[in-house]
Amino acid sequence: MPEGLFGLNPWLDGLIRLLMIVGLMTITAMGLIYIERKVLGRFHARVGPQRTGPFGLLQSLADALKLIGKEDLRPRNADPWTFEFGPYMVFVPIFLGFVVQPFMAGFSVRVLDLGIMYFVAVSSLSIIGWVMAGWGSDNRYAMIGGMRAAAQAISYELPFVLSLLSVSMLTGTLNINEIVLSQWQVPNIVWQPLAFLIFFIAALAELNRPPFDIPIGESEVVGGPFVEYSGIRWSMFFLGEYASLFIMSVLISALFLGGYEWPFGTQLGIGFQFLLTVVKAAMIIFLIIWVRASVPRLRIDQLMGYAWKILLPLSLLQVLVNGFVLVYDLPRIVLTIAGIGGVILLVSLTERAIRLPRVTHQSSLVTQSEAAS
Amino acid sequence: MVTESASEFETQDLLLNVGPQHPSTHGVFRMVMQVDGEVVREVIPYIGYLHRGAEKLCETMDYRQGIGFMDRTEYLAAMNAELSYVMAVETLAELEVPERAQWIRMILVELNRLASHLMFMGAFGVDVGVFGTPFIYAWREREAVIDLFEEISGDRMMYAYLRPGGLAWDVPTNFVPRVREVLTAVRQGIADFDGLLTKNEIFIARTKGVGVISAADAIDFGMSGPSIRASGVPLDVRREEPYLKYNDINWNVITRTEGDVYARYLCRLDEMRESVKIVEQCLERLQPGAIMPEKMPRMLRTPPGEIYVRTEAPRGEFGVYLVSKGGNRPHRLKVRSACLSNLQALRHMTIGSYVADALIVLGSIDIVLSEVDR
Amino acid sequence: MRGIAKSMLTTLSVFIRPPVTRFYPDVHRPLPERDRAFPLLLWDKEIDEPFCTGCHACERACPVECMTVLMKDNPNHKSVGGTSGRRKIIDKFWIDYARCMRCNICVEVCNFDAIAMNNTWAGHETSVHDRKDLVMDLQQLTTLSHNGAIKEWVPVLGKANEA
Repeated sequence: MPEGLFGLNPWLDGLIRLLMIVGLMTITAMGLIYIERKVLGRFHARVGPQRTGPFGLLQSLADALKLIGKEDLRPRNADPWTFEFGPYMVFVPIFLGFVVQPFMAGFSVRVLDLGIMYFVAVSSLSIIGWVMAGWGSDNRYAMIGGMRAAAQAISYELPFVLSLLSVSMLTGTLNINEIVLSQWQVPNIVWQPLAFLIFFIAALAELNRPPFDIPIGESEVVGGPFVEYSGIRWSMFFLGEYASLFIMSVLISALFLGGYEWPFGTQLGIGFQFLLTVVKAAMIIFLIIWVRASVPRLRIDQLMGYAWKILLPLSLLQVLVNGFVLVYDLPRIVLTIAGIGGVILLVSLTERAIRLPRVTHQSSLVTQSEAAS
Repeated sequence: MVTESASEFETQDLLLNVGPQHPSTHGVFRMVMQVDGEVVREVIPYIGYLHRGAEKLCETMDYRQGIGFMDRTEYLAAMNAELSYVMAVETLAELEVPERAQWIRMILVELNRLASHLMFMGAFGVDVGVFGTPFIYAWREREAVIDLFEEISGDRMMYAYLRPGGLAWDVPTNFVPRVREVLTAVRQGIADFDGLLTKNEIFIARTKGVGVISAADAIDFGMSGPSIRASGVPLDVRREEPYLKYNDINWNVITRTEGDVYARYLCRLDEMRESVKIVEQCLERLQPGAIMPEKMPRMLRTPPGEIYVRTEAPRGEFGVYLVSKGGNRPHRLKVRSACLSNLQALRHMTIGSYVADALIVLGSIDIVLSEVDR
Repeated sequence: MRGIAKSMLTTLSVFIRPPVTRFYPDVHRPLPERDRAFPLLLWDKEIDEPFCTGCHACERACPVECMTVLMKDNPNHKSVGGTSGRRKIIDKFWIDYARCMRCNICVEVCNFDAIAMNNTWAGHETSVHDRKDLVMDLQQLTTLSHNGAIKEWVPVLGKANEA
């Protein structure tokens, strides 16, 4: 529908779409913050927000109002440009990533033929904002956090992209809507369980969610790049985090769980399609929150090692297997079997990895017993 | 490790100030870390932010008044701190503590050990990076223990319940069933922690082989408590110098050999199970009777002398050195804090590790800053 | 990965259990009888005057010196035609709640059982805007007992067994 949404002129149409994105995204992010607090509360045997409005529904709104009302502080030694534009650099790419999200048939903002490539390109831009925020704050915690974020994003970009690639190999297109439509019989997770698992893990890392939240690790670098931010700028980081959580879960559901198509998406109409998208995205979000409540944080070297030594080879393997199956036109069940084998391999490799004798950087400090002898 | 001459760039280590306001320094501990990227090159700890002169204050008070200050030196295990103090006074004043009081003291002390270890589990889990979950699991069961203490002594943290000679007043009539209730809750809590952390791969990856200290070094640093038992030294004051009734019941000293953070965690987890067993045995042996000696003077006076009494607090050996020159107040009181001694090993354990590990190591020795600074 | 799955099952089992939150300002947990908040003076309802005779025992025993006691001749004493058996009675009494460390020693040393720890929620919810508002005078200290709003618990002490 490149003609414009309501038959308006392209500029007005563009403006309306932009407002739609901003409005939808802000509301989704606020809703997600509420849901996360509520669900996480139950995982903690608490009740979560409950005072603002019925069941605490207005909590996010109250928080937003509070944050808007707060003073926008900037440390004296901070680099003004990088500090103040950091949040935008985080926020804008996430908005851009929204453009290709398939919610219902023909109802994404733009259906791009190179949708996946576009998404990968813009979503990885937001890391520049993290580094800007970390560097510009003139805070050592923030800087360590920013550097960690950069290292993490670069490492996990590879398995992330490769597992996306294996899906598009299978479906033969980079257009997300076509990928969704191609799953009208069987969702991709059946053919690509390994790619799904790798994509999920890499997505957690991309989102900086636990166990990969080392850039913001509260108990180590006290919030990382956000340390010096306050008020509206800080809330932009937060909004960006939850908006990208939403985007990522929609994307996972579209690529692997059949999106709005499977089951019976086309037959039952657009309302059902929307429901399918929401339910699948909610499942993914619940899973992500569940993981957050259950796992500790990885260390930076373990995080990098996991990406480079386990996830990357396995995602390459997946691409290779896909290639074989496609070139020699093998039955698709081979993919499932290979995928399940790959998942088992991933699990066993992960479990082996923790049993390895680890390199300790224990010091050459002269201990008291050595000194005494 | 880095050869500067070969490097084209001149690199400089970063000084990272951790604390006194930092989420995982467990109070107002401060350490300045010299970090090379993510690797810690040097750690300089600073203590004293919470110094209140409790020892000196106690010297201006009579023996009963000092109890309240002992509570405040170690607020997470106040019963254990009180116990050391009142035992020192009792030994000096040659008071005979009635049977019942001893059993009750033992129950309370072990329950407080449970509460303190639960607190450790929670704080440590958060240090490792689980978002809040272990903390709330810990507080859920700790709340049960603390509620029980409130019913017994009237206060939730600063009990002021043990007295030289016995107890301030008798426990309520529903004491035994209430303790059993609490133990059931605590067992559930231990099971939850076991399920949440012990087998978790990420937890193991983060803690195993981190902050290793050998038995010899641990002894040299004067460590005690679970921190040294995790290094394979079966040092437990309850076994070495049995006080109360620890000789009359069956219990084991928990040791592990690895000496790393994971071993310290497991040591505390097993110790909690052991404490549950001890309390159960105490409950069976509890008989009605007096809780104070027959002849108790109205104002307790001690003959001149000096005494060092140590007990096994949750964090290690909590000793009280008491010098009396006669009269109703100590001439000199010195608290031997397990946390302070354990903290000495921090530098040894952290140098060369990652920044994230340094904070886990700090968490694993379970310091209470009020006890370190006093 | 299996360990992580176990962790997740544990958290899920907690998810299913009811939450343990206490809805504190809305629902006040019933406090145990022995709960110690801050010391209060008790009111002798039979004679309608405080039990306290102002003997300074608590003031002397207080580790943090949070009490100030002034005594006077009892205007209601039998010798002047009153009904009370107390020759002396409390004139002025201040307790600085900001200093009090709630050690219960004042209750133990009192010979007249005239002071008790507040075991109601009123004793815990004492937030004020100014520290000097935490210095309670005689009237504030006796009000709760005068109204019968507390059920005082005076410990049966070890020393009391002797008597």
